[in-house]
Amino acid sequence: MKTSERIIEILLFLSAATAVMIVALIIIFLVKEGLSVLVKVGIIDFCLGMKWNPIAIAGEPSYGIFPMIVASFYVAIGSLIIAVPLGLACAVFLAEIAPSWARSILKHAIELLVGIPSVILGFVGLVLLVPFIRDHLGGWGFSILAGSIILAIMALPRIISISDDAIRSVPREYKEASLALGATHWHTIRKVILPSARSGIVAAVILAMATSIGETMAVLMVVGNTPLLPAPIYDILDPVRPMTSNIVLEMSYATGDHASALFATGIVLFVVVALLNVISHKALKSRMGTRR
Amino acid sequence: MSEIEIESRNLDLWYGSAQALKNITMAMPEKKVTAIIGPSGCGKSTFLRCINRMNDLVKDCRITGELLFEGTDVYGNSVDAVELRKKIGMVFQKPNPFPMSIYDNVAYGPRVHGLRNREELDRIVEESLKASALWNEVGDIPDRSAIDLSGGQQQRLCIARTLAVKPKVILFDEPCSALDPISTAKIEDLINTLKHDYTIVIVTHNMQQAARVSDHTAFFLLGELIEFGKTKQIFELPEKKSTEDYITGRFG
Ligand SMILES: Nc1ncnc2c1ncn2[C@@H]1O[C@H](COP(=O)(O)OP(=O)(O)OP(=O)(O)O)[C@@H](O)[C@H]1O
Ligand SMILES: [Mg+2]
Repeated sequence: MKTSERIIEILLFLSAATAVMIVALIIIFLVKEGLSVLVKVGIIDFCLGMKWNPIAIAGEPSYGIFPMIVASFYVAIGSLIIAVPLGLACAVFLAEIAPSWARSILKHAIELLVGIPSVILGFVGLVLLVPFIRDHLGGWGFSILAGSIILAIMALPRIISISDDAIRSVPREYKEASLALGATHWHTIRKVILPSARSGIVAAVILAMATSIGETMAVLMVVGNTPLLPAPIYDILDPVRPMTSNIVLEMSYATGDHASALFATGIVLFVVVALLNVISHKALKSRMGTRR
Repeated sequence: MSEIEIESRNLDLWYGSAQALKNITMAMPEKKVTAIIGPSGCGKSTFLRCINRMNDLVKDCRITGELLFEGTDVYGNSVDAVELRKKIGMVFQKPNPFPMSIYDNVAYGPRVHGLRNREELDRIVEESLKASALWNEVGDIPDRSAIDLSGGQQQRLCIARTLAVKPKVILFDEPCSALDPISTAKIEDLINTLKHDYTIVIVTHNMQQAARVSDHTAFFLLGELIEFGKTKQIFELPEKKSTEDYITGRFG
């Protein structure tokens, strides 16, 4: 009895330790591979450098990923601008308004959306969205806008389901109190339910942003991948190259410093995503705090 | 004899296929306190929530019969539940202030109904907090979060919040069951004051409380109204055997 419990405990500990170790190994590996360029170029110049020219035919190669950092945020924030209002509206409908049959249909549809492989979404974007933008809005079609829309579609299910949870976990007493005071359902949603669910919703949004920044395949297929800042800077019809695309596009033939620079791009990406995850968890925690 | 404010006639209520109220007929007079007593699950809360149509929120809840407020059936086609609830306030079993400041809690109702004038709001908040005997304790900290108040204070805040809407009727669903004896005494005093201005219906599990605060008492059992009459008569000379058993604590 005693020893068998002991063995189970040890096994559980080992599996937990494995998870931590894998993360640690990935970090160590990334740093080991990427560090040489970061040291050579300098972290500041690497992150804020405007020029990405890893295979210089004449002169020194240059490794600056600022346009790509901007591109990553640009595309991710664009996706949030589309997905947050839509997702929130959908979550409110799901949690507060939909009759149970509509709710179950919608829930299934959303699960289906999660299940679509990102390469298929990218493909649809490539075939439908890019030509549509080219024909109706101008530009090349491959653009920040196209990337944002595809990412918004991917972020939508996550935003909906976390916001739905947050709204549904608002104590029913609040809703009853508001209605009993003669407030309409809509007023109750706006003034009591959404404010009480706020931190959960914020967490959902930040998490969605982290996922969007890390998303690769679908974005790669529709953003055009030019390693330059959009010009003018607000032109959402310009093509850009997010950090993820940068790594995928050049990984197969990069060597030496060039390969190292790609790993360093990975480090930056990792840090950004990790920071966003931490912020998102903080937001969720604070919700637990205020709820006693 | 004062006017009848609320009257139910042959009221039946089903949750799905389970009947929770059976043929309830009773009349609650204006500016009096009517207590509803009975064992757990007998339909007291259900009946109370019929009066301000809170049962509208429950899916497959079906109601037949009439429930008259000021002579009109609240389940009639022309009645808007939202408008009705402005006139019939409710205080719940568990204190449920919003997670906002004390001020915003009390001002919530008036704001819902379109009042924006700050001075007017200030006046209503002060008036309501005074009427709910809370002003002395929180009058100088209106910006403090309502969640930080004690349970008894929270419940009086909920009463203030209800008063701020200026209803005609206040429904209390076991308002003291989560409170200590001192807070309970405060709320009972409050109810005794409020009945000069409001019609009150209170559900309670506490016999002494019913005896202390109410003018009329209704005894419910398994969804039926067993006996309804003057509180004094119900407690001293109950007509039905089951009423007597319940009041003397022989069951329930
Ligand atoms: N929303 C609901 N859906 C289905 N059944 C319900 C619902 N609310 C109450 N009931 C049922 O209706 C009956 C009466 O419930 P009600 O809450 O009115 O009792 P009560 O007299 O207030 O009891 P207590 O003293 O415990 O509060 C119970 O059998 C209960 O299970
Ligand atoms: Mg009850």
